[in-house]
Amino acid sequence: MSKEKLTSLAEAIGTVPDGATVAIQNMATQSAPMASVRELIRQGHTGLEVVALIGGIPIDLMAAAGTMDRFTGAAVSMEQFGLCQAYRSAVESGRIVVQELSETALNARLGAGARNLPFLPTRGMIGTDLIAINPNLVMVPDPFGGPDVVACRALIPDVALVHCHRADRFGNLQMEPTAVWPDIGIMPKAAKKVIATVEEIVDTELLRSSPEKTILPGFMVDAVVEVPFGAHPTSFNPRYGYDTAFHREWIAVSRDPEGTSAWMQRYVYEPDTQDEYLERVGGTDRLEALTRWEITE
Amino acid sequence: MNDKPSTDWTVDELMVTTLAATLNNDDQACNGMASFVPVCAFQLARLTHAPDLVWLASAIGLDARPERVPASTLEAPLWRDSIMYLEQYSTFWDIVLNGRWLQKFCVGAAQLDRYGNGNNSVIGDVYHRPKVRLPGTAGLGDMGSIGKRLFFWNPNHSPRSFVEKVDFVSCAGWLGGGDERERLGLTGGPELVITNLCVMDFHAETRHMRLKSLHPGVTLEQVQEATGFDLLIEDSAVLETPVPTVNQVRLIREVIDPDGMRLREFGR
Repeated sequence: MSKEKLTSLAEAIGTVPDGATVAIQNMATQSAPMASVRELIRQGHTGLEVVALIGGIPIDLMAAAGTMDRFTGAAVSMEQFGLCQAYRSAVESGRIVVQELSETALNARLGAGARNLPFLPTRGMIGTDLIAINPNLVMVPDPFGGPDVVACRALIPDVALVHCHRADRFGNLQMEPTAVWPDIGIMPKAAKKVIATVEEIVDTELLRSSPEKTILPGFMVDAVVEVPFGAHPTSFNPRYGYDTAFHREWIAVSRDPEGTSAWMQRYVYEPDTQDEYLERVGGTDRLEALTRWEITE
Repeated sequence: MNDKPSTDWTVDELMVTTLAATLNNDDQACNGMASFVPVCAFQLARLTHAPDLVWLASAIGLDARPERVPASTLEAPLWRDSIMYLEQYSTFWDIVLNGRWLQKFCVGAAQLDRYGNGNNSVIGDVYHRPKVRLPGTAGLGDMGSIGKRLFFWNPNHSPRSFVEKVDFVSCAGWLGGGDERERLGLTGGPELVITNLCVMDFHAETRHMRLKSLHPGVTLEQVQEATGFDLLIEDSAVLETPVPTVNQVRLIREVIDPDGMRLREFGR
């Protein structure tokens, strides 16, 4: 019999220790586990090392709230909405330390973590300054006589936060056909623990009708929570698009401490449930209208 | 189809056509974030001289067919009607790292030096206390070192972006010039730099950035003033950049990017 994984967001996120290494799904404006990120902030977690391939608004919120003091990843940007200003000023003042690395290097670090190897090599970054600033990257000779390669030390996050389209109560996770970034492809496999939010919890029988959509088996997943629009304001293709107005609202306040604090109260600290949050961001009718193929602004 | 030179082309269109001309029919091409000029160039190449060019849209969507260039070059709907979604950890990087495919890559960088080294990481002398934290290396840290031919585009040619020495090398160019790349076992490297003022290439031995052509109406002095290092100029060899054709301008304006998303990159 499979183990029950269904739980509440408060309980699942409550298991994350302060100072933990937390890997999050996210690609600029895409597919971040935003409900989990808001819960981390609400619960007052501190000292996190956050791992993301290309971080966007979740990184900015955790930088603004003082949730994280380290970032490991290839870039942080909200792309068309601009740089993450709270993150940027935290890095410039030394409050957040960045361990920047190339995409193949992060993939290699996570791949080594997932496969119980001390490191995996890449040919990326040779000649750049990225190797010297990162203690987890070292040039090593090719034992078979070729040119040197870069050894990327195994990265084993304490927890991976992901958001998926659906799951059963046993944590078998499904994704609809969409862009699949390494944050789903490898991050959860490397992490000690996986906390998943999903748009909907369904009966296991429904998963059996499309097993090709199952991306992680339940035994790899520690907690699963149903959170509709759980990636808002990032996009969650093909279910919904990113929220332009909401990103712009954040950009407008994020340089100003008072504006930031009021914004955090309104959207992060005050809403006690996802339903209340969804009301505050304009209601589900508005969010349903954020369809994927028509976005031009 | 009208292949006569356009008389009302604009510089964004000139950059698109110049970049498109570097692509061949049997190439594969991919783009990353905020890459409107490359995306327009790939689409233009596919609609004109390189119909079989395979485009890996946002490194996700194989042979995508967006109706028009959308607000993001990393997001849906750019990958509309793809033949395949490329799972990034495995499929995409297998294609890129293998070496048989995707020989060329378009690079946008905040800073570029005379040897084509790129910086998208930090401005300032101290990495961990930067004056300005830029987005980060993303894919550039890989693309500069894995044998790709690099084509840079910069819509805002200025001394701020063309600097004597980059504050941080987040994309390996010709490094210190000469044969330094070769000595590290690196193949490929910077080939062309296309800006809003001119086109530059690199001297075959010294690897100094060299003026190749001026856009019509742009003077040598203008380019020198906008460049923070001594550009290599061989007076007799400086050409005028060919202007877009009537048909190219029509395709860019009416078919590829009718919303003018590419203009977001200019005037920053």
